[in-house]
Amino acid sequence: MSLIKTPEHEVQKVNRLEVTPASRVEESGEAFTLTVELPGVGENDIELTLENRTLSITAENTVQNFNDHTLVLTEIPEVRYRTAFDLPERVDTTGIQAASRNGLLILTLPKREEVKPRRIAIAAG
Amino acid sequence: MKAYLNTMGNPWRVFDELLNEFPYELLNRAWRSRAGLYPRVNVWENEKGLAVEAEVAGVDPDKLDVAVDANVLTIKGEKEQADGTRGEFQRSFNLPFELESEHITAAVKNGMLTISIPRKAAEKRKITIAKQ
Repeated sequence: MSLIKTPEHEVQKVNRLEVTPASRVEESGEAFTLTVELPGVGENDIELTLENRTLSITAENTVQNFNDHTLVLTEIPEVRYRTAFDLPERVDTTGIQAASRNGLLILTLPKREEVKPRRIAIAAG
Repeated sequence: MKAYLNTMGNPWRVFDELLNEFPYELLNRAWRSRAGLYPRVNVWENEKGLAVEAEVAGVDPDKLDVAVDANVLTIKGEKEQADGTRGEFQRSFNLPFELESEHITAAVKNGMLTISIPRKAAEKRKITIAKQ
């Protein structure tokens, strides 16, 4: 009797590689823009959560299977994208907006009013 | 366990790499800096033709160019990299058979480009042998 109960291909399916997706942050006077690359992920497949000040992103990509074709070259594995960001105090977490377009998740993290640059009027005198 | 603390200099990420026997994270990052190997692709084939799936997240679909010349498939475009650098990329594939450039289909969805190209039908010519 075989001790191996789960066939290898089923094990492979369950255990996706966890990978940190490429991301970058840009800053403007009003907000931070966080862009995360999630190729092969549709907007409904992104798990985006905020817990206290930690923003977590988890998503699994979909790699196509071409029936009645032979696989010749694999550079894109099936992965689980996972990353988390501790948002600094300067960010107003209640105003976070997220949009997804063509494999990119774009998060707008507004700054707290007090930290936005303000012009200070100089009184004549 | 919250493994990732922040995006810059994540100490836990290094720890993960040490635990893994194979540094997938390093490979993953290496891909992004090698313009000649971008985009990553999966290639399938059968006797009718070729199917290619390429990762093109962050690439403007209007600037994406797919071209076929005899047996060479070229994918070209412009991508703003995650680290801010904007770069043009071009990647060509030499195939062991000729492609039919008139019937390529290409579509982009969720940052994935799917290309389907039929093989060029073999031309059969009958060679007559002159009687001597």
